[in-house]
Amino acid sequence: MDTYSGEIFGYLWRLLGGRPDAEDCLQEAFLRALRAYPRTPRLRNPRAWLYRIATNTARSHLARGARHLARTADLDARLASPASSVADAFDHRQRLEAVAAAVEALPPRQRAALLMRKYQELDYPAIAEALDCTQAAARANVYQALKKLRHQLDPVAKTERMA
Amino acid sequence: MTSRQTLDPSVAAWLGDSPGPASEDPLTSALDRLYASGPSAGEVERARNRVRKALSGAQPAVVYYDAVGRTRVGPVFVAVSDRGVIAVEFAASEAAFVRSLRARTGATPVRSRQQAGEASRQLREYLNGKRTRFALPLDLRRMSDFQRSVLLAAARIPRGQVTTYAQLARRIGRPGAARAVGQALGHNPIPIILPCHRVLASDGSLGGYTARDGVRTKARLLRLEGAQLLAE
Repeated sequence: MDTYSGEIFGYLWRLLGGRPDAEDCLQEAFLRALRAYPRTPRLRNPRAWLYRIATNTARSHLARGARHLARTADLDARLASPASSVADAFDHRQRLEAVAAAVEALPPRQRAALLMRKYQELDYPAIAEALDCTQAAARANVYQALKKLRHQLDPVAKTERMA
Repeated sequence: MTSRQTLDPSVAAWLGDSPGPASEDPLTSALDRLYASGPSAGEVERARNRVRKALSGAQPAVVYYDAVGRTRVGPVFVAVSDRGVIAVEFAASEAAFVRSLRARTGATPVRSRQQAGEASRQLREYLNGKRTRFALPLDLRRMSDFQRSVLLAAARIPRGQVTTYAQLARRIGRPGAARAVGQALGHNPIPIILPCHRVLASDGSLGGYTARDGVRTKARLLRLEGAQLLAE
């Protein structure tokens, strides 16, 4: 399990929008995994299994009300703007905030599928196992997430094209 | 659903449909800015250390085991950690027990009569009808809170008596959870000492038993304790 703890932390950090409680969530997920392990019949893909536990732990974590915590402050830490002027920096920041908010507003499974595919480099069989669904459904979740983001952020995209 | 052909090339690349880098697409670049780098190395290290510490507190590094020997319910093995008895198993062989112990506890099993001898002696005496109660510390830290409460409630059923899954569920304040109680008992890592065999189905039948020979072993344990069994 130690092999995957860094990677799963990265996933939870992304899934929780960079909030500091990703660390609590990681610990809870690994303790859950430790308890579940003796009752788990032969694991074909321990990595996907840990993603599954992490995804479920994050969901109950958010359900307990750890939502909107310190996201804005956190953005400051995450983003050193590459823009040259103050006005550009402001635009840039606003755009990123809008994207971050849109990602957080996605349905949990879509957000999880998107992040696993794009930033955790999981293949569809693994995502399907993590989300307990078919590969087609895993794929559809990623697709729907992107479609929704694109739709919501269309004005943002237009601004970008004009610039 | 929109058909694949209308997909933006960068979206297609994301889905893994087409090769090539995601282009200057603003959404993709914004997402990359937000998520690509992830947490800092320092944050990752801190989180990993915390998990390592939590896990080592949650499970022992070494467990000592001993063979109880051939008993009236067949060969039995017992293992203890630094805190107490952590496993009792009706295993077919020492090798099978060691394998299962390693998988269940994540610890390194070491055969030691010195460490596990007291536990195996008490079990042997019990199974030979020469002892009626155990005086042993238990290591329950790997259990969930629910399983712990179920098994500790089972431990309060006196020898020679039985109860039902539903009654036990009520006793722990979870009246609707008879099935979950049954499952928690079924995964009892310390059978005999934590007497899950004293819990029966509500219709008075023996219910289930996960150990070797299933309910026959359960019936033998109950008879040993002097419980009157009407039917098997």
